[in-house]
Amino acid sequence: MTPRKQAAALALWTLAITVLHVSLNVRWDGVINDFRPEQERKLNVAYIPVT
Amino acid sequence: MTDYIARHSLEQYLFIPRMFQGFPEIKEALISNRIQAGFLVAPLAMALRSQGVPIKIVFLGHRYGSAAVVKRGGPVKKVADLKGKTVAIPSRYSDERLLLLRALDANGLQPGDVRTVEMAPPDVAGALASGAIDAFVMGEPFPSQAEMGGFGEVLFHAREYWPDYMSCVLVVREDVIEKRPQAVQVLVDGIARSGMWLDEGQTEREYAAEFVGRYYYNQPPELLKWALTRPLDRVRFNPLLPRRDDFQMVHDLMRKYGLLDQPIAFEEYVDIRFAEGAMAETAWDYPVGHGRMDPGRIPD
Repeated sequence: MTPRKQAAALALWTLAITVLHVSLNVRWDGVINDFRPEQERKLNVAYIPVT
Repeated sequence: MTDYIARHSLEQYLFIPRMFQGFPEIKEALISNRIQAGFLVAPLAMALRSQGVPIKIVFLGHRYGSAAVVKRGGPVKKVADLKGKTVAIPSRYSDERLLLLRALDANGLQPGDVRTVEMAPPDVAGALASGAIDAFVMGEPFPSQAEMGGFGEVLFHAREYWPDYMSCVLVVREDVIEKRPQAVQVLVDGIARSGMWLDEGQTEREYAAEFVGRYYYNQPPELLKWALTRPLDRVRFNPLLPRRDDFQMVHDLMRKYGLLDQPIAFEEYVDIRFAEGAMAETAWDYPVGHGRMDPGRIPD
């Protein structure tokens, strides 16, 4: 495999991992919420998995 | 619960539920305004308020639902047997610790007679199974987890030493209370309605165990069914009004055991108006039936 192909494969792999990470691990509702005016912002309510 | 409320609320009062694994993380998130409301153990909420953190208790999360658990078939058969043993609690500032201290006191033991260690709630059942601890005092579903796993048995439930025991309370940042009281009222109303719905009977609790286990807690629904139905009053969701006498008892215990440096008035850490505003609420009109296991299908 040529260095150029290696670089392309690496870039593709990095892109795929980044897309997967962003789609699986980023809470988009929270990100969008942060850009809303304060009065319209949703309230974040914390809980832990106990009663 | 908050997600359900969000689906039934006006658009401007929606909430985003955020799951945490321990109370210290919630405390930090509240202080830094990453979250605006959350469920904390009552003594921690009171201690934070006394230290100047701008939060107030507006409602309770539940009553009862905590238990002391020991190794099944182990040497601890009664509370007095805990002498010299290691007991896990969720936080130094937790009702579970105060519950343990009350039980020790009632059985002639001193606080120093047991070694308490703070542990994140999800870790305690494994720690008991492996022998790292001799007992734990924790909220559900972790006592149920130890029972279901066959390696733990309940030494005592909270009600045996603490009538109308309360643990988690809903706290809200004061700036939110001041600027968006309607949103806080919607949240409290929703929790009150959910509590009444849950207390309607076994069917509702089994259904709640299904969707909460799958979609929120990431825990086996069978475990939550155990915790919510064996028996039905193992955890109760009424009354959730913050009562002065209940908090006075927590306050006095905190003073007794050195968790509060100075007295703090009930009005300083509780804002009762939202709970009073929710008193006329009724249970969610949400009949449970076959094929209704997906909260995404909740009707408008």
